[in-house]
Amino acid sequence: MNNVLNEDQRDALQELMNISMGRAANALARLIGTKVSLSIPRIVAVTPEEFNQILTNKQSCYTRQSFLGGVKGEVLTILSEQGCCSIAELMEFELPLNEDSHNELLLELANILAGACLTGFSEQLDLNTKLSMPTVFVPEKRLQTQANWASTLLMEVEFKVEASHFDSRVVICLESLSVDTLLTSLGALLE
Amino acid sequence: MKIPVTVADDSKMSRNVVKRAFPEDWNIVITEACNGKEALVAVAEGKADVLFLDLTMPELDGFGVLQQLHDQHVKTIVIVISADIQPEAKRLVDSLGAFRFLQKPLQPNELRETLHELGLL
Repeated sequence: MNNVLNEDQRDALQELMNISMGRAANALARLIGTKVSLSIPRIVAVTPEEFNQILTNKQSCYTRQSFLGGVKGEVLTILSEQGCCSIAELMEFELPLNEDSHNELLLELANILAGACLTGFSEQLDLNTKLSMPTVFVPEKRLQTQANWASTLLMEVEFKVEASHFDSRVVICLESLSVDTLLTSLGALLE
Repeated sequence: MKIPVTVADDSKMSRNVVKRAFPEDWNIVITEACNGKEALVAVAEGKADVLFLDLTMPELDGFGVLQQLHDQHVKTIVIVISADIQPEAKRLVDSLGAFRFLQKPLQPNELRETLHELGLL
């Protein structure tokens, strides 16, 4: 997809994500009751090898959600273990987190981040998509056949909350037909 | 006499969205800036009686631009157009003397109404 995505399209996609993540930051700020700043989102296409690499980090927590509609695929949200703890602290969870609270927090954050991304895609590109509820994802348990996406876009954004900051990554996997749909919609926006 | 306006945003698409929202009969000459530093240069060169300013930009962000304009008592009319929609950001922008805070995605009608309200049309 690196070849498919030209500079204008990358710029447009990045700006759409910037707007979406602005909403996510606002939702997150309400949740934890303090201002959240975020970096300019970085968008890159990743190869299957790089994608697998992303899934091998032991310090990361993963969730996945599938989406259907104008574009189809799935979205993974990746947060660092440390980031989860910082947020938990701000939200006055009892530390150390037990597994239930950990997962609850992770799913809440994933819903905010991935939800904002997908809403950004669908609304601004006029594509109707429905996002399923997130589930905690354990890469070791996945079936190899699930990894065959035509195209994988990686969006990285860094959130800063007061003194702590944490990286969060949203990985959007698209079916090949959906890539065409996405590019057509982007084209309409760039005309 | 054309009014000099500058559109400062790191995204080319966003600059286009803003330019497209301008009324066709608005008598202006447009300068584009890709970051805060370029925006300040445009102001210094008299190219920005009105400055449309994004907040999240590389080099120098929109808050930095507002701070400098504020410190130097510059008369440029600043209209912030931002994806950062947290109340805190709006408060800070207001306190630094921006005239309006418009949310992204920009609604063309909202921009035109703002220009009317500020007597720029």
